[in-house]
Amino acid sequence: MSSEQDHLKETDTEARFEFKKEQNAAVKSDKGLTEEIIRMISEDKDEPDWMLERRLRALKQYQNMPMPTDWPGQPDLSELDVQEIVPYIRPDVDKREGVDDWTELPDEIKDTFDKLGIPEAEKNALSGVGAQYESEIVYQNMQEQWEEKGVIFCNMDEAVREHPELVKEYFMTTCVPPSDNKFAALHGAVWSGGSFVYVPEDVTVEMPVQAYFRMNSEGMGQFEHTLIIAEPGSEVHYIEGCSAPKYGTHNLHSGGVEVFVKEDAHVQYSTVQNWSKNTFNLNTKRAIVEENGTMEWVSGSMGSKATMLYPCSILKGRGATDTHITIAFAGKGQNIDTGAKVYHNAPNTKSTIESKSISKDGGRTNYRGLVHIADGAENSSTAVECDALMFDNESTSDTMPYMEIEESKVDVAHEATVGKIGDEDIFYLQSRGLDDDDAKKMIVAGFIEPITEELPIEYAVELNRLIELEMEGSLG
Amino acid sequence: MSAGTQVHANLTEEQVREISEGLDEPDWLLETRLEALEALSGLDMPDVIRTPGRNWTNLHELDFESLVDPLNVAENKDQVGPDEADVLPWSEAVDEHEELLREHFGSVVDPQENYLTALSTALFSTGTVIYVPEGVDAEDVTIRTEQNSRSLFNYTLVVTEESSSVTILERQSTGAEQDEQYYSGIVEVVAGENSSVQYGSLQNLSEEAYNFALKRGDADTYATINWIEVNLGTQLTKSGVSTELNGDSSETQIVGAFYGHNDQHFDLDAKVWHRAEHTTADLVTRGVTDDIARSVYEGVQDVGKDAWDTSSYQRENTLMLSDESEADASPKLIINNHDTEASHSATVGQIDREDLLYMTSRGVDPRAARNMLVEGFFVPVLEEIAVDELRDDLEELVAARLRQRN
Repeated sequence: MSSEQDHLKETDTEARFEFKKEQNAAVKSDKGLTEEIIRMISEDKDEPDWMLERRLRALKQYQNMPMPTDWPGQPDLSELDVQEIVPYIRPDVDKREGVDDWTELPDEIKDTFDKLGIPEAEKNALSGVGAQYESEIVYQNMQEQWEEKGVIFCNMDEAVREHPELVKEYFMTTCVPPSDNKFAALHGAVWSGGSFVYVPEDVTVEMPVQAYFRMNSEGMGQFEHTLIIAEPGSEVHYIEGCSAPKYGTHNLHSGGVEVFVKEDAHVQYSTVQNWSKNTFNLNTKRAIVEENGTMEWVSGSMGSKATMLYPCSILKGRGATDTHITIAFAGKGQNIDTGAKVYHNAPNTKSTIESKSISKDGGRTNYRGLVHIADGAENSSTAVECDALMFDNESTSDTMPYMEIEESKVDVAHEATVGKIGDEDIFYLQSRGLDDDDAKKMIVAGFIEPITEELPIEYAVELNRLIELEMEGSLG
Repeated sequence: MSAGTQVHANLTEEQVREISEGLDEPDWLLETRLEALEALSGLDMPDVIRTPGRNWTNLHELDFESLVDPLNVAENKDQVGPDEADVLPWSEAVDEHEELLREHFGSVVDPQENYLTALSTALFSTGTVIYVPEGVDAEDVTIRTEQNSRSLFNYTLVVTEESSSVTILERQSTGAEQDEQYYSGIVEVVAGENSSVQYGSLQNLSEEAYNFALKRGDADTYATINWIEVNLGTQLTKSGVSTELNGDSSETQIVGAFYGHNDQHFDLDAKVWHRAEHTTADLVTRGVTDDIARSVYEGVQDVGKDAWDTSSYQRENTLMLSDESEADASPKLIINNHDTEASHSATVGQIDREDLLYMTSRGVDPRAARNMLVEGFFVPVLEEIAVDELRDDLEELVAARLRQRN
């Protein structure tokens, strides 16, 4: 344990605690999101002026934008007090300070870890104790392997310092500008941490790049930024693992993900998210895909009180391809509003969206999707399929696709189905000796199989396990 | 733009009083009109779909100042029905069926639902009331409206008593053509227990015209309301067809067909609200867009909490004949009851090249082959149209439109 502590000291934890105190004072005198606070975050991170300027510009945009409240059937955001956003960062730091032992974690979280079968080392990492330590190790291993090939994989804060020319060019410029939406602007102002991935031309990164521990290792990881640049002909699979429940104190997660898929490059971005059930999860994730590039989004959205997340691909180059595979699970008190956006802006582009949702115990899922085929994007095709499974009469499931088709030489198809778990299926399984719960679990496992197939085995197992726990009603 | 700026200065209470008086209406009806007039300034345009960066239909471009001329009304109207049912012009209905009107007018479509319904309520000067008594089967009710003035506001009420049935065929066309015209039609259908309403509508107004149409039915226990909605004319149509399935085991079907060419813009919605047990809905729409025409389709299947054992299906297919046309679609499912079997699908595409190749290789002239394929595209909808006359009309009008094509 002592060596772990030492490692903690070696990182900038100390500095962050200092920073926390300053911020506390600032927050007391000046509530809400202010220029001073942004300057403080930037200063604490030792950022160059240009990044500070970007933050301040984003802050201005944020202040001038309305909350998105007029979407049909959207989650209720009224409990989210925007003026209290920065103070919400603070409890995160407090908590890190407060919990220095596994035993001090809330029972609910401990139970979940136990049930997930997560080993002790991971428990420590996930509980925030050894996160920095663990993640540094992970990074170093990866770096050794790929450095020779020119692959960069590092903390986003570090990337600002070490790779300013790349970050300057790609960070919230053309892909997710802060002006995109209110939470992108907020993110641009207060972002912190996250991952930076750069894959040079024609390099294939064989094993998935994982940022499993990253999220908890940052004091303000609620606003993490991920920037992935895949140069022509390269290939990488990035996995964001926020797959463990987090502390109950967070109220807003507003991440930003930008992916640049150059000519003939192939990027897969997989995420399994399971936020605590009082979290507002409002993210912007987008990829720009050049000629013959391929972008694959694989996501499982499990936790949170309310999620609004629509990963987007802009198919900019001829022959670009997009695949979306998403699964959403909404249990008691949850509203998971998620979907996919694809802009077909060039000829011969192709997209496939497969969305599955499960709602139970009053949970609410919504597929909200937009497929836009621009004039001139001839010979493009898109196929959207949404299936919803509902467990009971307290639950809700909506499907709201939007299709904007400006080009005639296209093939556009959308299909959606909603149904309850078939009584006959359950009866069949019961007649073969399974009890009701097991029968339901088995049907759900079959229902989500197309998603789990796409994930590396450990994530697939975890996703299945999480869903099983949700079904038992034993999570959170 | 807020709705408030759209109330035009030349619309007055006196005009509304004059319309009402001319029709010899009772006071309560005049009050309803005046309330609608007064509400105008606070009401919004009907909802349109908005997605990032665009409004799917921009109703604010309608210039009511110049379009609406409430006291200057001209039309040719036929209202024909069998003797067993009452098919009455509005002025007669006011006289003969006041109680019926008092009970049902505005009960299905709220007069103040939006700016255009309120405008219509305040200003309508013509209409038809169809009353079918218990046990009566009334076939062949025909309403033809030919608009000869700049604006025309039409109202239709259909009430069917228990175990009755009616088939209504309504056509709208333009007679004396003016530069731009505005036609507004509101239809309320109250289908009593175990009754059946088949309501076919063929909108073939001039291509200079603007059209706002709202048709809505309320289906009681075991009742059936079937709509056929055909849109061919106008430069801008905003049309909504919907059924509230309020009675157990009620059913509805909405069959839609449209053909947009030149610079026509159709904003069409088909909606069903499942509010009771064992209800069934089937929504089928097919349309063509050509030239720089644009179609906007919104289909909503809303299954309420108490709608146990629901079956709800929706299909929408658009065929694009030109590169400059646009076809936007949003088939929505809103499901609050898990004991539901629901599905929807939408497709957009062009004429299948292989089909075309097959036909031309068999010696069919390419143009004829294309026309046959377009006609063939409408077949699944034509098959659903139970009213022979309407089916024939649609086939003929589609063929005529195809012949116009180069």
